[in-house]
Amino acid sequence: MAVLQHIGWGKGYSPEIPARAIFFLSALFCSSIVVLILGFMVLTGLPLIEHGQWVNILTGDWNPARQSYGIWPMVLGTLWISFTAMAISFPLSLGCASFISILANHRTAAILKGCVGIMTGVPTIIYAFAGVFFMVPFIRTIGETGSGMCILTASLVVAILISPTMILFFMASFDNVPSALFDAVAALGGSKVQMLVYIVIPACKKGIITGVFLAFGRAVGDTLIALMIAGNAVQRPDSLFDSARTLTSHIALVSAADFASMEFKSIFVCGTVLYMITTVVILIARAMEHNYTGKENSDE
Amino acid sequence: MNRWGERAVYGLTVMGCAIILGSFAALVSYLMFKGFTALNLSLIFGSTPMVDALFLRREVFDGIFPAMAGTFTLIVLAVTAAVPVGLLAGIYMAEYSNAFTKKVFGFLFDLLSAIPSIVVGLFGFSVILFLHKHVSEALVPSLIVSALSLAFLVLPYIVRTTQIAIETVPQSVRITGIALGATPLQNTIHCLIPHSFTAILGGVILAVGRCAEDTAVIMLTGAVASAGMPHSLFKGFEALPFYIYYISSQYSSEAELAKGFGACIVLLFICAALFTAAALIQKKARHILLYTR
Amino acid sequence: MNCSKIKTSNLDFFYKDHQVLSQVNATIPENAITGIVGHSGIGKSTFLSLFNRLWENIPGAAIKGKVLIRFSGDREQGFCDINAPDFSALELRRAVGMVFQTPNPLPMSIFKNVSFPLKLAGINRKKEVNELVKRAIKACGLWPEVKERLDKRASILSGGQQQRLCMARALVMNPEILLLDEPTSSLDPASEEKIEQLMVDLKKKCTLVMVSHNQDQVKRICDHVIELGI
Repeated sequence: MAVLQHIGWGKGYSPEIPARAIFFLSALFCSSIVVLILGFMVLTGLPLIEHGQWVNILTGDWNPARQSYGIWPMVLGTLWISFTAMAISFPLSLGCASFISILANHRTAAILKGCVGIMTGVPTIIYAFAGVFFMVPFIRTIGETGSGMCILTASLVVAILISPTMILFFMASFDNVPSALFDAVAALGGSKVQMLVYIVIPACKKGIITGVFLAFGRAVGDTLIALMIAGNAVQRPDSLFDSARTLTSHIALVSAADFASMEFKSIFVCGTVLYMITTVVILIARAMEHNYTGKENSDE
Repeated sequence: MNRWGERAVYGLTVMGCAIILGSFAALVSYLMFKGFTALNLSLIFGSTPMVDALFLRREVFDGIFPAMAGTFTLIVLAVTAAVPVGLLAGIYMAEYSNAFTKKVFGFLFDLLSAIPSIVVGLFGFSVILFLHKHVSEALVPSLIVSALSLAFLVLPYIVRTTQIAIETVPQSVRITGIALGATPLQNTIHCLIPHSFTAILGGVILAVGRCAEDTAVIMLTGAVASAGMPHSLFKGFEALPFYIYYISSQYSSEAELAKGFGACIVLLFICAALFTAAALIQKKARHILLYTR
Repeated sequence: MNCSKIKTSNLDFFYKDHQVLSQVNATIPENAITGIVGHSGIGKSTFLSLFNRLWENIPGAAIKGKVLIRFSGDREQGFCDINAPDFSALELRRAVGMVFQTPNPLPMSIFKNVSFPLKLAGINRKKEVNELVKRAIKACGLWPEVKERLDKRASILSGGQQQRLCMARALVMNPEILLLDEPTSSLDPASEEKIEQLMVDLKKKCTLVMVSHNQDQVKRICDHVIELGI
């Protein structure tokens, strides 16, 4: 009997309940921050939205002199740079991941994987700084127009930024293919390339798509590279060699302005748009993951 | 697929690898090459003697020492704020959540980790703006605001690594405590956390690295180009990444630009050191925990 | 007495400096079922993997000695050292099929599973492919059970059916040698019986080498037994 009392089978064993509450409240606090962020964005940006109808804000041109605070050029800037960066980075990253995971021999693969790991640790500011002084003059001479500070240069640097994340994500996907399948194909006399093309990539379709969306989200969210390299002109881009401003760099640039002005409020609308894009990306990524674990085998 | 098709695929993958790693190597070599000349004590301490600077006897005006000190203080503050809360939240997600809360909170944490850093900075900025207007004029973008905003930025890393670390504790270890009569709380504190300690530590180091390198958040919440050593929580401060950003557009001489490159190398070195420290600590801590008394 | 099909000569197998097989000199007769037996962990599966060079996929594995196989038909050349530098492992695996302990159908339809080796070898003409696939599935006694659902995922089949599907897949290229690594250990007795019968039917045109833990099975169907022992 004395032993049972020590174990504490009595009612309401003290630390359990408050501990549980503390854990829950911590989680609640963390998640409420996410909601608060959205709240502050929307509320602070509200005066601008009331001032001109929200459609104009989103799709109009930026011309403070004429009271037009449309952020559409910035939206376009973000999209141009992000899509171009993805177009450059995706094939290269997929190829790189395929090589390291499947085609290379073990020693080479280990070394290359380490190199990719090192790339993930490099701060964005460093890529941006090197990009300003290395890539910009380079593109200036190649493009023969403009200052070299344009969408193309920014996209190239963003592509290098997002590649390691995509590569590692794809590799994790490839590693999930059961090794029994590798044995089966090897025993049938399939080469590594055949294994990659016929088995691994089809099996990892969902993982690859998720990786693409996550990398796109990262490209959209980048600030420094766009700020320092893309030129920051507020205009609708017509070509890769045009200077452009993104939603992110707009926020950085205008935040120093007079905070009672409408220009200032526009950065909160930008923040809201960025938040929305991120939400969509995450929703898609989670939906993909959900389907992925639900249906292991795909029909072919 | 014939021989040529196979060769083409192989060649393309090698090319992908070569282009990506090659570009990276080119950029880093460029930095090293340009900043190499500036790597000396005067980069860090300017014209102030090193001993005086280190003991805070004299201010450093043209070196990056204040920026490094600022970054260091920032990291300490941000991580101190984020780790306890993140740890507790991660434990909740791993041990105490049900399917519904796991899904909802999980989504919100994923969202938090994906929000662009400039938006987090903007949030910090808008909060302080709000407090400035409605609470006290003395509240301005400052060290404490940046530290807290950075804490928000890295919180999801800590929550996620803690959650995964605890969830992947093998069933055999999990059962041990319970079989001995431990309550869920005791099991968590005495069995699960020690076992996942190294993984959690890894998450903390990841957070430290993120705080060291971030520029977008601090740029909006208190980092300035020149503020000397960090001496007040409620004033502006200098930080290494911000210094690099500032130099890129405001340099007035080749020597200053070289300093910028030098600062890049210092920052790279710090991040590389953190990276290696993480790997080493994980190996050592595992050894200490599992193989010593 | 059948002629020999496979010979090993002074074979040593090392896995990361640990010697697993030592000075193995074995002969495997043609058109017969040879059983490989021995204690757990002695290297039976490893021994089997020598015959299609699958051991090369294990990092840290190395061999000394020779493995010689006598191919027939248009591959006739007397005994060849299959580890010679100019001997193609991929070609070897088309002449030597393998069935694993746990059925490992590919994530494709039943038809595509069996036609996959043909695709790898570049055989693409629809008529030829259909014929070869049908023949292989029939040879495994699986045709009546799957003929109505060739386009369905292979994973819908039962364990025994999946294993017979894997055998059909291994047989579609008409290999001269079939390696089986404990092919029935994960199956129920009824499926086991079907597969044993299949193996006995196959030995007319094929040399079978089977690893088995099951003494009774070895007694039932093996014509020749190699015992691996230290």
